Amino acid sequence: MVTLEMLASLANLGGSLRGDPKSSYPTGSTRLHKIPHGSPMITLQETTAAPQSLDYQSSAYRDAYARINAIVIEGEVEASDNYLRLAELVPDAAEELRKLARMEQKHMKGFQACAKNLNVEPDMPFAKAFFQELHNNFQRAAAAGDLTTCFVIQSLLIECFAIAAYNIYIPVADPFARKITEGVVKDEYLHLNFGEMWLQQRFPEVKAGIEQANATNLPLIWKMLNQVDKDVEVLGMDREAIVEDFMIAYGEALSKIGFSTRDVMRLSAQGLRAA
Amino acid sequence: MFGLIGHLTSLSHAQKVAERLGFKEYADNDLEFWCMAPPQVVDEITVTSITGQQIKGHYVESCFLPEMLSSGKVKAACRKILNAMALAQKWGIDITALGGFSSIIFENFRLEALKRVRDIDLEIRRFTTGNTHTAYIICQQAVSACKHYGINLSQAAVAVIGATGDIGSAVCRWLSQRCDVSKLLLVARDQERLQNLQGDLGQGTILPLEAALPQADVIIWVASLSQGIPVDLAALRDPCIVIDGGYPKNMANLMQRPGLHVIDGGMVEHALDIDWNIMQFLNVANPARQLFACFAESMLLEFEGLHTNFSWGRNHITVAKMEEIGALSRKHGFRPVMPA
Repeated sequence: MVTLEMLASLANLGGSLRGDPKSSYPTGSTRLHKIPHGSPMITLQETTAAPQSLDYQSSAYRDAYARINAIVIEGEVEASDNYLRLAELVPDAAEELRKLARMEQKHMKGFQACAKNLNVEPDMPFAKAFFQELHNNFQRAAAAGDLTTCFVIQSLLIECFAIAAYNIYIPVADPFARKITEGVVKDEYLHLNFGEMWLQQRFPEVKAGIEQANATNLPLIWKMLNQVDKDVEVLGMDREAIVEDFMIAYGEALSKIGFSTRDVMRLSAQGLRAA
Repeated sequence: MFGLIGHLTSLSHAQKVAERLGFKEYADNDLEFWCMAPPQVVDEITVTSITGQQIKGHYVESCFLPEMLSSGKVKAACRKILNAMALAQKWGIDITALGGFSSIIFENFRLEALKRVRDIDLEIRRFTTGNTHTAYIICQQAVSACKHYGINLSQAAVAVIGATGDIGSAVCRWLSQRCDVSKLLLVARDQERLQNLQGDLGQGTILPLEAALPQADVIIWVASLSQGIPVDLAALRDPCIVIDGGYPKNMANLMQRPGLHVIDGGMVEHALDIDWNIMQFLNVANPARQLFACFAESMLLEFEGLHTNFSWGRNHITVAKMEEIGALSRKHGFRPVMPA
């Protein structure tokens, strides 16, 4: 006699989706885990398609929004300042970089309007502190003429973080903010592209510098995200989804710049475990 | 260009593979990390047909793990599949097979409603479940095994466990229309679907699992059970053929008894070596040539320039489509995996 527990994982899924505390992944050594082809075993109790019901006017939402919105505004301010600084350092591309800065300022105004729309006062001191370490690293690199680090911080890390956060925010945003964010995220892809191209054209000479800047600054991104874990959740966003989206955008950028898949997997996950 | 979206069997399997490939960040990490890990294109594949035609493809590791479902991380699971599909499309892959859990998740969680993935609108015509080829190969395996083990199908009882699923129902249609099976035993959980299937087939006996198994000369297992059930191996017929149509292929290890012949169902072997690395990690007997028939379907569609979702949705597989994909399978040098 042998016990066949076919498709134990899916079977237990049914239980877990129903909140059955007894269901757990099988640990028995003789159990069979089966995936059927085309089985209807998964119970449709939950679907990612279902929009979450968020009360945009609740005090909990608006409290969390005050910090997240401030971060977004400050992020756009940082981005604008960084591009203006880069325009001084890269005269050849100054005009293009100043254009990017102007776009970031426009984004900032859009997000300020989002706060007004929900009657929220953005917590700017919190946001300033939030960006401080990354801000300092950019300023130090700029002062030293380390363009590689500047581009990694602004064009890759900040842009990818923004893209990831905006992508995950859009489906759960209030209608006013959704429209604005949808417009912004399109621009951010363009900004990412600018940095990618700059680094790609100089890949052999900047490769080591990118790795170094990544090792120093990517752990900061994870740390920053951890700080707003709870707020992000209140806004209906999924932290895991933001990280995954970030790693996708950042990985794609590194890949375009010239890194191998192996390098991309190593670089984009750097420091995540410790975070 | 063709693509395969696959995943590993379990967290421990994934960690081992990552370690062997030298991806330390992935090897050292737990399920939470895998829930955040993005899909990756990890292998380039070259397949040569026996006609001499050569095609290229990519293996996309979705980073999905079955534990995501069992621990209730449904959103992560759905994200893995959608992101892997978006990546395949972004790479310009014309036809991609959704292997293992991928197509089940897509269908059961109705991901079709979420076709917009970031800046990409998923084009469903670029994807196939591969179920038509899988169903065809399972039928061929059943027929060949009967010949091999001296079972006369016209006097035999064939039990299809999971008869109402996409593959199960296709297998039933084939057996009804193309084989002179003495008795077709239909086993599934949903009685209404079973009765509809029986009506469509115009034949078949609906039985509970425990009643069907001891009567069956051939058991085609393409289903799941909601709980563990005791199977008395001594009560199964001698000889008895079991086609293991699930994933991973593990019935052969557990169901051992003289006169019981377990065959890895839905597996094909190519006549020529395939140039790829990933298969060595998927626990198949001959990694240079053996693969899941669903994966092979995307290769067949690429060989023929049929860039369309040949297998999609539930219970749309016709005998004509099985014959069509079967002919292409033979034309390009694939054959069902059979015991030596």
